Amino acid sequence: MADIVQTAILGLALGGVYALMGAGLSLVFGVMRIVNLAHPSLIMAGAYIAYWAFRLAGVDPLLILPVAAAILAGTGVLLYKLVFEREARSAKYSEMTVLLTFALAMVMEGLLGTVFTNTQRVTSPDYATDAFFIADVFIPKGQLYAGMVSLGIISALALFLKHSRFGYPIRATTQNREAAELLGVNVNLVSLASFAIGVGLAGAAGALVSFVFSFFPSKHWEWIVILMSLVVLGGMGSIFGTVLAAFILSVLAAFVGFYVGAVWSTLTFFVALFVVLLVRPQGLFGEKPELA
Amino acid sequence: MSGLLEVTDLVAGYGNGPAILNGARLSVRPGEVHCVIGPNGAGKSTLLKAIVGMLPIRAGDVRFKGESLKGLRPDQALRRGICLVPQERALFPAMTVRENLRMGGYSIPDKAELERRIDGIEERFPILRERRGQRAGTLSGGQQQTLAMARTMILKPEIVMFDEPSLGLAPKVVAEVFGIMKLMAAEGITIVLVEQNALMGLKHADRGIVLDLGKTLLEAPADEVLRDPRIGELYLGGRSEA
Repeated sequence: MADIVQTAILGLALGGVYALMGAGLSLVFGVMRIVNLAHPSLIMAGAYIAYWAFRLAGVDPLLILPVAAAILAGTGVLLYKLVFEREARSAKYSEMTVLLTFALAMVMEGLLGTVFTNTQRVTSPDYATDAFFIADVFIPKGQLYAGMVSLGIISALALFLKHSRFGYPIRATTQNREAAELLGVNVNLVSLASFAIGVGLAGAAGALVSFVFSFFPSKHWEWIVILMSLVVLGGMGSIFGTVLAAFILSVLAAFVGFYVGAVWSTLTFFVALFVVLLVRPQGLFGEKPELA
Repeated sequence: MSGLLEVTDLVAGYGNGPAILNGARLSVRPGEVHCVIGPNGAGKSTLLKAIVGMLPIRAGDVRFKGESLKGLRPDQALRRGICLVPQERALFPAMTVRENLRMGGYSIPDKAELERRIDGIEERFPILRERRGQRAGTLSGGQQQTLAMARTMILKPEIVMFDEPSLGLAPKVVAEVFGIMKLMAAEGITIVLVEQNALMGLKHADRGIVLDLGKTLLEAPADEVLRDPRIGELYLGGRSEA
């Protein structure tokens, strides 16, 4: 019984981190209909900011998180203006943005590899290797803190989307871009802001990831499959769905890892992606795709 | 009589594709209901989209109160007082009825004023008050159309353009939709209507506009269009009023 509780707790703690990693991807898809394949490489950039801030100046990753988020959000603004804005009216928008984000991921990987080398890194504040013990169950402090901070950020995002004056048009654009535009929403500005927020969330997630996982520039290819499985299971564009999927799949992966073998744990996400696309392509909360 | 909205020799299309409108004209008179008819592919919906800036104008002009709308975005056209209700209502399905109404007044900066106007709309359309907490996507087709039409009234626009408002609705509901349109016209809102059900549309309109192959074939009082035997044969299934 203790094993089951232990495994579930480890899965839940990681689920919080995955939720934040996927939330930005989901937001950007919801508003802009862009599957941002470069999202994990942007998370990687956030992780490097936290890593070097800790290594060079001893700054805690949790403290550098807002800085990483702000730097990445600024990067998001630049990327949107330089790369995506001109594609907005393109007849081949979907195809172009997939190719563009793929190219961006390659460029990010190359840049990070050149500057920081391909050595595995992990930020190691004291709590990253410490744990709370409750009877026979241990809760790793690093994963717990990362999970709690993730949920805090996602809750703030949800409140912002639900109640702020700028949240309304973002939600509206997600649900019906044309209608939002016709009701006076500057959808280009909303797209810019959403992309910046989404990439900013990648930066925040990166700061947390830096002490939860070891990372190196090309690891983003593994992450994109994991994040896509969350976004697809949750329903493309549904942030709530992504969060729920993150908890479901990470708990499932934890059990697979414990009972079947650690090497099979990551495969859980791959299989889930395949099965969901086959059985229920709209995921838990997405719109049913139209038949051609 | 000078039009509130004047469309002259308009050429427009989608992306880099061929032009759908090839010199369309339209003169919209204040306070009147205008019904645009024509066969499939005539460019009726394209005309409305080009007017509000959803499609770029390649040639010709659209002037509202004498000022060109060329190059404006839909949100800028809306701020001038022109509102488009596209096909299939264009609601936000996961938002509540009340939230949809709030989005209707998105460009109103004064929140108290916005809430006051929404209250006024709910008073006029009690069904929207009853359903205010319900998600728009779960409303019936008729209720969704009522919401979409009522939502435009929050901004008190000068011109509202409807693209196929009766599409997919039961005959009884269609009558209600035209009733709301009549109410809007009585309040002085100028209406431009694109309608597949041309007979129904023209019967409720002051003026009729016939489009074909992206060009305006005829602009005349609606009863004249209804009586024109050529138009009756071509677009009204041979049911002219002559």
